Amino acid sequence: MRNHKIVHNVCPRNCYETCSILSHVENDKLVKVEGNILHGYTRGRLCAKGYALTEYVYHPERLKYPIKQFPRGSGNWQRISWEEALGFIAEKIIELHDRYGSSLACGYNKYSGNIGVLHQATEGMFRGLGPHTIAQGDVCLAAGNDALIYNREKVPFKDPEDMAKAKGIVLWGVNPARTATHQWFFINKARDQGAKLLVIDPLYTPTAAQGDIFLQIKPGTDGMLAMATLKILLEKGKLDEGYIKEHFIGWETFKSYLLEEVELSEASKITGVPLEGIKELAALYESKNCATWVGFGLQRYSNGGQTVRVIDALVTLTGNYGEIGGGIYYNNSSGIFPINLKKFPRPPEQEKTKERIVDINHFASEVLALKDPPLKLLWIAGRNPLTQDQDIDKWHQLFRQLELIVTVDMFMNEIAAQSDFVLPAATFFEDYDLNYSYWHHWIGINQPAIPPYYEAKSDLEIARLLTKELNKRRPGFSSFPAERTALDWIEGEFTPEVLARLGIKNWRELLQSPRKLIPPSEKSDHQIHLFSQKAKEGQLPALARFTPPLSNPSYPLRLLTPQSLSRIHSQYSNLSWLDFGETSEEVEMNPQDAQARNLEEKDTVLIFNEGGTCERKVRLNKYLPEGVVLASQGGQDPINKLFTGLKADMGILTGGMPGGAYYDVWVEVKKND
Amino acid sequence: MTKISTKGFLFNVERCIGCHACEVACKNENKTAPGVQWRRVTEGENGTYHSISCNHCSSPECFRVCPENAYIKRRDGIVLIDSNRCAGCNTCVQACPYHAPQFDLHQNRTTKCNYCIDRQREGLPPACVVACPSGALVNIDLKHLPLESTVPTVPGFPDIRITKPSIRFFPQKGKKRYWLKEEKSESTKNTDL
Ligand code: SF4
Ligand code: SF4
Ligand code: SF4
Repeated sequence: MRNHKIVHNVCPRNCYETCSILSHVENDKLVKVEGNILHGYTRGRLCAKGYALTEYVYHPERLKYPIKQFPRGSGNWQRISWEEALGFIAEKIIELHDRYGSSLACGYNKYSGNIGVLHQATEGMFRGLGPHTIAQGDVCLAAGNDALIYNREKVPFKDPEDMAKAKGIVLWGVNPARTATHQWFFINKARDQGAKLLVIDPLYTPTAAQGDIFLQIKPGTDGMLAMATLKILLEKGKLDEGYIKEHFIGWETFKSYLLEEVELSEASKITGVPLEGIKELAALYESKNCATWVGFGLQRYSNGGQTVRVIDALVTLTGNYGEIGGGIYYNNSSGIFPINLKKFPRPPEQEKTKERIVDINHFASEVLALKDPPLKLLWIAGRNPLTQDQDIDKWHQLFRQLELIVTVDMFMNEIAAQSDFVLPAATFFEDYDLNYSYWHHWIGINQPAIPPYYEAKSDLEIARLLTKELNKRRPGFSSFPAERTALDWIEGEFTPEVLARLGIKNWRELLQSPRKLIPPSEKSDHQIHLFSQKAKEGQLPALARFTPPLSNPSYPLRLLTPQSLSRIHSQYSNLSWLDFGETSEEVEMNPQDAQARNLEEKDTVLIFNEGGTCERKVRLNKYLPEGVVLASQGGQDPINKLFTGLKADMGILTGGMPGGAYYDVWVEVKKND
Repeated sequence: MTKISTKGFLFNVERCIGCHACEVACKNENKTAPGVQWRRVTEGENGTYHSISCNHCSSPECFRVCPENAYIKRRDGIVLIDSNRCAGCNTCVQACPYHAPQFDLHQNRTTKCNYCIDRQREGLPPACVVACPSGALVNIDLKHLPLESTVPTVPGFPDIRITKPSIRFFPQKGKKRYWLKEEKSESTKNTDL
């Protein structure tokens, strides 16, 4: 083979797995990808999406050049040079600064399209402008993170590879058959040694199908299931009260709450889980070293944080923490890298006023309310808010006030189509990056395998170029250190602590192979707060206890929108290799719910609520709970139109804003004649 | 010279999570045309999945029916099609119970799983097997398989009597399911297979 080389890449998708990839390149063309056996978590394998990456890189719809549209939304696109595009944008930024006396009229909405460290360059580029408008918050998992902090003062750092050593495994509202396929190696290792697998979910997912035991539960009632399980164990004398009294704050209050307020038959009614099923769960926690993996879905409710607090109470009160395999698994954002792109020093005049923060979960509505100055320039990167946000209608209102919309993307997606400029983004095969996972503990350096596709550029290159254009026009306007290269930034992330935890002297050792972080030394004698003063101060229930989920009298059906197999949110929807028949054109319904509305398979229906209306085709699913309908994310007629004003109970501590209660959506469905 | 063997697959329905990694890994390895899927993952009953490719049968119908004699059955059990000899008549496509031969519209000829023959030469397992995260799909030599612990077929798998496919399965066990208890109906627990 001529000019064949193998390059190390790391998949940067917003996914548990952050796979290590060996890219086969021939004559500067990516011809094949495979997993890297030196990566101890992904172990030489990729997922289906990973194996489709050659199709992704050379997809015929990939954007090749910067383009400009006039008028906005007309589809009248014109190719322009990078210099022209960035020059125009730079002039606009400077003009807005002169008009309003700061860069607060400029802002970005950027999220998880590429979660590599260097993709924080967009944030850095704006930081260089001085005070500006930032979308902040955590769309995904902040409520659960806060919950664990209220209980434990920190989110436990668990090694998912250790799940192999558990004696029992509870997958609670998590669907690794769709979202974390590599974890099955470790789950199955435990099962081969006799561990029972119990799955709890409102949906009969492929993961539920794997379970030796499956408990189907009514959405949002998981906290009650955990309370009932604890009550059974307490009454059977299976909780070690001597130990508990020493290590748990608020045990007496919690105990009397359990004894007086939790009633098993009532709990069974609320959760829909028969008593016998609750007892199965109790039996698993009775035997020690039980692993509990809490998914992100169950904290996307108005009571989501509380739910996680109670599940964690079950895990800890049964003594399931501190051991190697057992305990709670949620997420492992190590926070170990300094992320200098967001911290570089700025001149004092840029530090005089603060950044303006907008909640990313309610971005469009909050921005519409901003004055002095209003937002005028919006930069979108790594994100498609027109399919993924709440309050999509508000976005269309927002467009009217914006004088410039710039989108950086690989494809002409829904938000790009509404922009003035679209800048072609490089894939991760085309530049350096530094990647860590929010799940496993392996760190890798992503290296350029192929030259950039036509004129595509990474977020960092764009930041550097735009900064130069700004400073060329007005010296010193931006303080972003544009001279620093990707490798400079990577090097800067390797503090002595990081190097020590990786057991290396020089970060360049990572160019040869990914490495695993040595876990931080943990105090094992810390206390668990069943009663949290901090929660009370945050206007939340102080006690970890079940709070009922919301319901909506006007719309009887709860809409759930879980992750699909072939996509990461809005990404990959155009790959033919990943066409497994999943579609955003259907709504799944229980046959009873369909019958009650005179609906049959394949009927065209309208799903609607106060937020809007979407058209879908009915697909009957006998495993769906009554009162629950299912749709997938993305598409031309995005289901998120029906999402409005959803806030989880927690999230401020770790995300700066409450999490999004994406599963507290109620709708009605009717035939579309 | 290939050794006499019976190369094939061992599949564990209970471990297959339907993740399609095997299917896409095959495309990544063999660069099959759009729509041509040498390995396919299909949905079965009760949340189960099957992953099916060519089974390199002992009595390959494809081989028997092909008017161009495009098929060969090797001593190691692998069944290959020489697509250059294929006239595109689709006889094998219809004859194979597992939809293994796939007609490539663009090239007007049929192709199918070749058991990753190039990888075999390098001593590497098939790409689909490497990709499987759950251990559900394994490549084996049926000559060395302890037949007692495995079964010849599972519910939902096409009829094996015509071609004697080189695939074996792990038997399925029962599982406990606690379906949602609705206020009206009292039916709850059941065990399915
Ligand atoms: S599976 Fe089909 S194509 Fe493969 S050997 Fe058997 S009959 Fe022939
Ligand atoms: S053995 Fe190779 S050619 Fe056959 S299905 Fe698997 S990956 Fe495809
Ligand atoms: S890769 Fe394995 S688990 Fe996934 S669909 Fe294929 S056989 Fe099933």
